[in-house]
Amino acid sequence: MIELAQLFRDMAWPIAILIAWFAGEYAYQWIKLPRISTYAVVGFVLAPTQIGLLPQTQAPMLLLANIAFGLMLFECGYRINLRWLRANPWLAASSLTESALTFVAVYIIASWFGLSLANALLLATLSMATSPATILRIINEQRSAGQVTERVLHLAALNCVLSVLAFKIVVGFVVLQTSGSLWQATYSSLIVLVMSLLLGAIAGALIPALLRLTKRTGQDCTLAFTIAVIGIVALAHSLKLSPILTALMFGLSARHHRIVLATSQRGFGALGDLLSILLFVFIASSLEWRHVTAGVGLGFAIIMARQIAKIGGITLFAHLSGISLRKGVLIGVASTPLSAFVILVLEQTRYLGISLVDQLSSLAAAALSIEIFGPILVQRALVWANEVPDRKEF
Amino acid sequence: MPLEAFKTSKSLSLGVELELQLIGLSDFDLVAASPDMFELLKRQTFPGTVTPEVTESMIEIASDVHTEYLPLLAQLGKMRDALVRAGELLNIGISGGGTHPFQVWSERRIFKKPRFKEVSMLYGYLSKQFTIFGQHIHVGCADADEALFLLHALNRYVPHFIALSASSPFVQGHDTLFNSARLNSVFAFPLSGRAPFMLRWNDFEHKYFAKMEHTGVVKSMKDFYWDIRPKPEYGTIELRVCDTPLSVERAAALACYLQALSKYLLERNEADPVEDDYLVYNYNRFQACRFGLDGTVVHPKSYEQISLREDILSTLRRIQPHAEALACSAALEHIYRTAHEGSDASYLRREYVQRGSVEGMVDSALQRFRQ
Repeated sequence: MIELAQLFRDMAWPIAILIAWFAGEYAYQWIKLPRISTYAVVGFVLAPTQIGLLPQTQAPMLLLANIAFGLMLFECGYRINLRWLRANPWLAASSLTESALTFVAVYIIASWFGLSLANALLLATLSMATSPATILRIINEQRSAGQVTERVLHLAALNCVLSVLAFKIVVGFVVLQTSGSLWQATYSSLIVLVMSLLLGAIAGALIPALLRLTKRTGQDCTLAFTIAVIGIVALAHSLKLSPILTALMFGLSARHHRIVLATSQRGFGALGDLLSILLFVFIASSLEWRHVTAGVGLGFAIIMARQIAKIGGITLFAHLSGISLRKGVLIGVASTPLSAFVILVLEQTRYLGISLVDQLSSLAAAALSIEIFGPILVQRALVWANEVPDRKEF
Repeated sequence: MPLEAFKTSKSLSLGVELELQLIGLSDFDLVAASPDMFELLKRQTFPGTVTPEVTESMIEIASDVHTEYLPLLAQLGKMRDALVRAGELLNIGISGGGTHPFQVWSERRIFKKPRFKEVSMLYGYLSKQFTIFGQHIHVGCADADEALFLLHALNRYVPHFIALSASSPFVQGHDTLFNSARLNSVFAFPLSGRAPFMLRWNDFEHKYFAKMEHTGVVKSMKDFYWDIRPKPEYGTIELRVCDTPLSVERAAALACYLQALSKYLLERNEADPVEDDYLVYNYNRFQACRFGLDGTVVHPKSYEQISLREDILSTLRRIQPHAEALACSAALEHIYRTAHEGSDASYLRREYVQRGSVEGMVDSALQRFRQ
């Protein structure tokens, strides 16, 4: 006889993905709601602590989510043109400014709400990052092109790197405080950083070389890069390195060995779509309702401060860096999505033996609302900037 | 609307228009960047004219009216530098080339301007397929009859310009085996090809244009996509068969080759053009598009088969004195080198083999334009 409880447990994720996919398509057709917003709603509702269709997070799901995120970060890194920063130093300046302003603003607010020094610092570093995954999904979904599109993507990649760097340094500092071991502190910050970057750089040189060897350079390289991303994310995950930095670095380094994804495979095609459902459902399902209600005040204070800091930092240099003030503001608006890795990082710190999760859970409210509303703001910013093709156009 | 009067302009004066590619440096694909470019360009005075084109990944520059090679080249160089500088701030590369080698036509976006939207609705996918990049050269004519004479006298030289400017070997990611694949896209339009054989403006106006207008097919000269067409409001004829070359040096040289050739023809150094010259026109045009400088053309009067490269070299010898009179020998020197070393299309094919990808080829084209 079939045991129903067992069946539900086994089918939880397939059913969740089916529901999320259908709801996503339906809402997109109906009111043009970005698909990933719907995935977040579905994930949150089905979470173990809400309806409870989805089981408590298991390690394999975390790895899959990391891979999904890794693919998007790779693609993001692959589209970054570092020479642009040299040609237009004002862009680099606006990146550093908006990141620094965000850090300071969030730190002040967190301290004001009574968080400990370590927690306030961690929160401030995590808030610096704009989610490259969200940005990239919306850009691909809307087929947008223009300065807001280009810049928000570049700024997201940059502040993501800055954020991970700052985060790891603060983690080192926290580990030093709690364990007193200088080695452990250095390992969990500097060594992890260097090794993550190194792994990505090596892969970025190795894979294009392999592709040359197989004489597949002129053709579609999507499969090769997918396999490589899965491999190095799994490796980084297993070595407790930063999969985020590794994947981004891989993309950046592969790009400079100049083999480009076929345009038809933007976003890794159907595989990318599938993994993005999984990722965004997973992220939202790790949020708990009781945390959401508990941390509302702090969460929204942080969102507001972060938004103002980002719009301010970017708009300040808009004219100098060659765009209108209006587009500057819109880039700031599109930078709303907090990086999904906030949660992934939180998950991984559990394995690191530091229990920051519960203390930082006040971010849940901010994270949830931004998972849902962030994509809508990105979409609106791109539409207001006239960078999305007219739907009526032939 | 009746045909407007043909304005008089200085005989053999020149104007050059170049349609250029806007390329996203993130992935080397065409990018819908012209609105952002205009936003930035309007902050300073532009050393020439710059206008939007039908899709947002194209931009068009036009020179002032020139009579000599060096000032024309200097102005084209200044416009190039202004565009490259603006592009650098926006992560946009500016490139010549008749086609973008791997753009997907359905990804293109129509510039938000009523005429472009109308054209897009009428022609459907053709208008997006029309994301191709040409060089237009205007030659000033003292009167309308001189313009029509020159237009038809040039018929046998049209393949020269196709082969020398050819820079569109790849379309949608694949080698087409053509040197100028761009012209195949132009041919898809119903009113493309050659102009009707009439040598008197009066005849052209009343026996052709008025009748065509009466049929409702055309409203103005703009609706004709001929290889060479008269442009009454400027008092010029406009040669439209050239691909945009990869460098402004070649663009200027082509313009002055046409200038010297026009002087030679206007001084009646050859037998007058007749309707039967056009018997071989489409065949020769195909040879030039497909094989470039290696093509074989049929002489419209003697019907002898000649190598296109040989024909160009002997033409250069014939018009040399006229070039000297116009102070454009340096331009002919450039054309001579091109005929020997090969066109931009062969350069692009070599780069493709060396770099191993179409993206690498675009990168080479970008570098070449900056030089």
